[in-house]
Amino acid sequence: MRVGLAASRYLRQISTPGAARPLGGARVDVPVREVLRPGSVAEALEALALHPDALPIAGGTDLMVQLRNGRKYATALVDLDRLGLAGLQESDEGITIGAGTRMDAIAADPRIRRLYPALAEAAAQIGAWPIQCRATLGGNLANASPAADTAPALIVEGARLVVASTAGTRQVPVEEFFLAPGRSALTPGELIISVRLPSPELGPGLRAVERFVKVGPRREQIISIVSLAGRALVGTDGTLFEVRLALGSVAPTPVRARRTEHLLTGRRPDAELRREAVRVLQDEIAPIGDVRAPAGYRRIACAVLLDRFLEEASRG
Amino acid sequence: MAERVTVSLTLNGERRTFEVPPGRRLLDLLRDDAGLIGTKEGCGAGECGACTVLLDGSPVTSCLVLAASADGHDVVTVEGLASAGRLHPFQEALVTRGGVQCGFCTPGIAVTGAAILAHREADPSEQARLLSGNLCRCTGYTKVIEALQAVTGMEHE
Repeated sequence: MRVGLAASRYLRQISTPGAARPLGGARVDVPVREVLRPGSVAEALEALALHPDALPIAGGTDLMVQLRNGRKYATALVDLDRLGLAGLQESDEGITIGAGTRMDAIAADPRIRRLYPALAEAAAQIGAWPIQCRATLGGNLANASPAADTAPALIVEGARLVVASTAGTRQVPVEEFFLAPGRSALTPGELIISVRLPSPELGPGLRAVERFVKVGPRREQIISIVSLAGRALVGTDGTLFEVRLALGSVAPTPVRARRTEHLLTGRRPDAELRREAVRVLQDEIAPIGDVRAPAGYRRIACAVLLDRFLEEASRG
Repeated sequence: MAERVTVSLTLNGERRTFEVPPGRRLLDLLRDDAGLIGTKEGCGAGECGACTVLLDGSPVTSCLVLAASADGHDVVTVEGLASAGRLHPFQEALVTRGGVQCGFCTPGIAVTGAAILAHREADPSEQARLLSGNLCRCTGYTKVIEALQAVTGMEHE
């Protein structure tokens, strides 16, 4: 558990006979033997290929905790700081976000806010400001937490990850990237290079509605109990098209709610349809109870989040 | 002897080089290697903000920064906020407005507050949101925000 770390170290300190070392010093270093600091993507991929027990480190906001509490282990770290992977590129096909781009930059970017508001909202709700100034988009995904806030947003936006290794480059839809808690489609030696967001398609008379909403004990600095990203095109008469819904923390991975999407597509979200959508959604998710909330709470919370999204979508 | 890495950085405006174990955190480099004990360790997991420092002008929790990753970057700790022997206006305001009680969270709050002012954020609710990663168990934040507002008001005059 994250909050118990400092306390457990202190207890170990005072309960070890003859432990005269003060807090701090070598005892609290991350237990790795080596840090490699490649200057380019090619060098980084080579380092990862040569060191199968190495882990890449970017912002470190998850990894530093996991390495120190023993949930992850690495003999070496490959520091991605000098790879130049931060920044946005615009093209006719959409926007490509470098994997090293930090959450504060994503949340503040006017293009992201305009075209991909769910991603901007997700980035603005990760941790608090000092975490957002450090955490990277690639890291949030590579960590493969079921609660990763950028994941549901990127899924509804139809994003693809560009991943590379010394064997070459490939693309993975974000939707197919997460396999299990902490496990992703990355194979050993692979690194996320960038995230590609397709240009949002809009038909005549259609407006796009996109939201990311999450629930936790306070607004900032929390791991989502439930998160939901929704995207839909809304016709002038309120009919929903191309509905996409994705949720975090309700299954072993971030998931799409395809049956709920199907129910809503081509219809107007009146009160009756909204109630039915909530029932279908609650039936298709599989939340667990854990230290953050019981499963029943998650079911209720995701119903509230879905209703909030549909409320916004049905507003003229 | 275990391998060590070289970390060269600008620390409070001064070019400094350290030889540290590869897994050293920036927080421990600052406290143990540089002797700058103003920066405090609270939770050690990025939750409380006591260890906040400026990295290239942005607030970060130094307990989550690998020291090696700070190589080549610019770091400012609470010791670097004062200039020409005078406290930073926000530090001054924390004193005069009673924004300090036990003081453990204060270095982190001073650093984040200085960053908020450097970003010219004047709205009190937005200032509070930006400060939400700095936990304080004593003051209840009201006086901290008052101190920020006092400086914001001064700068607008």
